[in-house]
Amino acid sequence: MSFRRVLAVFAGVLPASLIAVLLFLAVYSWPAVRFNGIGFVTSTSWNLGNTYGSPILRNGVQVLPGAHYGILFLIAGTLLSTVIALLIAVPVGVGAAIFLAEAVPGWMRQWLSFFVELLAAVPSVVFGLWGYAVLVPLLGHFIYPAMGHVLGFIPFLGGSTGSGYGLLTAGIVLSLMIVPLIAATLRDAILAEPMVVRESAAALGATRFEAVWKVVLPGVRKILIGVTILATGRALGETMAVLMVSGNALNYLPPNIYSPISTMAAFIVSQLDSALQDPTGLAVRSLAEVALVLSVISIGVNTLARLVLYRSGLKAGQV
Amino acid sequence: MSGRTVTGRRLALMGAMAAALAGFTVGATPAKAATVNLLETGSSLLYPLFNLWVPAYTKANPGVKITTQSTGSGTGISQSISGVAQIGASDAYLSDALMKMHKGMLNIPLAISSQMVNYNVPGLNATALKFSGPVLAGIYSGKITKWNDPAIAKLNPGVKLPDHAIVTVHRTDGSGDTFIFSQYLAFSTPSWQNSVGYGTTVSWPAAPGAIGANGNPGMVNAIKTTPYSIAYIGVSFKQAIVQNKLGEALLENKDGKFVALTIANVKAAAAAMTEKTPADERISLVYAPGADSYPIINYEYAIVKAQQPNAAVAAELRKFFTWAISPEGGNAQHFMDAVNFVALPPAAAKLSAAQIATIK
Amino acid sequence: MSGAVARGGMSAGSPAREAARLARMRRRRAWSVAGWVLCGIGFGMLGLAMGWILLMVLVRGITALTPTVFLEVTQGTGGGLLNAIEGTLVIGVGSMILAVPFGVAAGLYAAQFSHTMFARAIRFMADVLVGVPSIVLGYFGYVTMVEGLGWKFSLAAACITIAILCLPYICRTTELALSQVPAAMQEAAFALGAGEGLVAWRIALPVAMPGVLTGILLAFAISVGETAPLIYTAGWSSYMWNGALVGSPVGYLTYAIWAFINEPFASANALAYAAAFLVTVIVLLISVTARLVLLRREGAR
Repeated sequence: MSFRRVLAVFAGVLPASLIAVLLFLAVYSWPAVRFNGIGFVTSTSWNLGNTYGSPILRNGVQVLPGAHYGILFLIAGTLLSTVIALLIAVPVGVGAAIFLAEAVPGWMRQWLSFFVELLAAVPSVVFGLWGYAVLVPLLGHFIYPAMGHVLGFIPFLGGSTGSGYGLLTAGIVLSLMIVPLIAATLRDAILAEPMVVRESAAALGATRFEAVWKVVLPGVRKILIGVTILATGRALGETMAVLMVSGNALNYLPPNIYSPISTMAAFIVSQLDSALQDPTGLAVRSLAEVALVLSVISIGVNTLARLVLYRSGLKAGQV
Repeated sequence: MSGRTVTGRRLALMGAMAAALAGFTVGATPAKAATVNLLETGSSLLYPLFNLWVPAYTKANPGVKITTQSTGSGTGISQSISGVAQIGASDAYLSDALMKMHKGMLNIPLAISSQMVNYNVPGLNATALKFSGPVLAGIYSGKITKWNDPAIAKLNPGVKLPDHAIVTVHRTDGSGDTFIFSQYLAFSTPSWQNSVGYGTTVSWPAAPGAIGANGNPGMVNAIKTTPYSIAYIGVSFKQAIVQNKLGEALLENKDGKFVALTIANVKAAAAAMTEKTPADERISLVYAPGADSYPIINYEYAIVKAQQPNAAVAAELRKFFTWAISPEGGNAQHFMDAVNFVALPPAAAKLSAAQIATIK
Repeated sequence: MSGAVARGGMSAGSPAREAARLARMRRRRAWSVAGWVLCGIGFGMLGLAMGWILLMVLVRGITALTPTVFLEVTQGTGGGLLNAIEGTLVIGVGSMILAVPFGVAAGLYAAQFSHTMFARAIRFMADVLVGVPSIVLGYFGYVTMVEGLGWKFSLAAACITIAILCLPYICRTTELALSQVPAAMQEAAFALGAGEGLVAWRIALPVAMPGVLTGILLAFAISVGETAPLIYTAGWSSYMWNGALVGSPVGYLTYAIWAFINEPFASANALAYAAAFLVTVIVLLISVTARLVLLRREGAR
């Protein structure tokens, strides 16, 4: 065999494993997809049914009496926590990127940038540990009651401020996990903008900040959009940190920003062993359907991000 | 940059990897042929007991290694069925459907446990609040949302209850604690029986602010850090409850009496149910009759496959379980006291011994 | 200064317009200062969070680090972490052994034959695979290998799952590093009659090696820091790895963080912090090393 053929065989393992995973999810969850129908994504009820009852036949599938699977609350929890994370992470990331690229002398920039990138390397479970041990008590006992008191008139910010486990806490922890990605990518993009752009702005009478804000930043707009979508993908699939601070709400939509939630990724971890209780196996297959829905959303978002970044001229692999 | 230094570095890396690998193989003492590895996983309620048993047992029996893992009864059941674990620890027995589907699964009671209802209400943790099944069902269905609700106040005359929302805490993992707690609600409250029912995992009704926690430890931590919360927690965590100065409720039993969780009350309930235990020992001890009976007690099961892959494993399992249920071994008073369990009554121990003998 | 330039260029005008212009100028200056301050705050928040997390891990971790942690295996919720330290390294090295040949091959193919359909497919699939959440891979591993193939919780199931997770990272960094190898170098080799294989192995790969190594190191860091996919593939063991690939579970540090912080016992919490300290230190050390490898390459240029 030629070198190229041998290489292709080895290289083919990557596409093959992706196809294997997706195919497995689709095939394995098929009975659940058929049984759950569209109600799976539009209703809020994860109910294994009576696990001590005898299975019955419904729609040609063996199920436990009373079984119903609807994951709207998980989709809501996943999307809301991600939106909150982005609302925090994008401004902070943009600010930090401008600061690093424009306000810091070169020798310091390298060290400070490195510091930021280290944050990206900290494992998810360590973020979770910090959130669980430090953030949850702090927010739940002091910050949230104060927030509810002062900002309570704004819809979604009032009502019971709960225990500290919940939507906003999950959003804050998630935002910390994606800020480094946004800040580092945008910093590189700003640094790569030609000096002449800034000089022309200055010649026209702009202050330095105006030059950055009104000229340089719009120039890297596409990269900002791309990396924001990429960060969205990260936040959607994040598991451990969310699991440890979200409160693992079951079967209800969050009435306010402090309420416990659960996300699709965290739910797969916390529910797999419960699902294995179902002798008909439908619960495990429904969980595979959750994984399928999550993968489809996450892959879609990621592909979109790559397209945007590719069109902005950034080489793949750099992010 | 020249190719040579790179090649040198690559070699260095390979060398380092090889050395690391060699280090592991040396570091990991090769398992002796005689050693049998057993994996115990499941109930976080049984976990503290297994953690006391294993060092004592393996010291006397160096030929066996037992890894313990606190996951949840759900995991214990499913992983012993699939053979991933040899011993599935569970507070719940297998359902009829599971028994039919997986022939030859044994439900072997090892001890009797009970469950507390605990709360963290600032100022009232030293007071033993009274709860009935229907009131708890109301709280967990989101119908009773405040601590000063008339239904709670009626059971606790003279107690100044705070005007504060109740945060209910339930288990997210498949759990025997959920099984016996939901049985207590189902047996005492027809509306709960008809809507939610019981199981190791149930579809909790939407109670605002309800928190899911992982394992008994997660339950303790959740109410510890959350004022005005309520949870159901296995008795082996009583020490943690006392240490953290959390409240423990008096529960209404079938005879309408409010009883505390004491060894005597658990024994009274067990005595009422032992005679009814069938040969396969799958029976709920929850809501036992009798004026002194504590309402939430249960057999702690080891879920085991009767047909083991090899004779050595089967022999070690028989030996271990026989030790575990004997009053001189695992059911000795000092083990039971450490986790607030109650030893198996002789009649139940006899049934367990008969089941253990069928492990092949 | 930009202000001086502007003033010099527009000196003619009535006093009223001049005053308005100055006011506008002051306002713009104030906005600019506020902008810088806000950017500084953005960075400050990031730095604060990072510092806080590191401080927590360091302070609580170091106080929990005793010789026992390194010398003994876990006993229930106490004892040490030797089993977990070993398991983390074994899983990391094992998954790299699986992932590196395939990942580097995929990157090599994508870079050397970059215009073929297959290369495009590899690039696209690598991006898609990055988008698959790690817990989904863990779920896949549990249902197919742990239960389906009957491997039980095992090193093999864990390593294969983590290897799939790491493949796209290794592939992409390898490709990026190779794409920066000067084309002239390879063309010269081809002109001298070298084949595709020879050029790839002896010219392109060695030159790109620092970049490739960085990718491998970062993938190793990922394998050390992962939790979710391991919970359902490696399981947990409180004994040392017994050398078996299938059939017996393996302990690892991230499990100790997740499971033991949840226990209401101080001894268990201490183990969790000790594990968090070890994981964080290992991951950060790898990141620093990877960074240095890259810096040296850039310095050599």
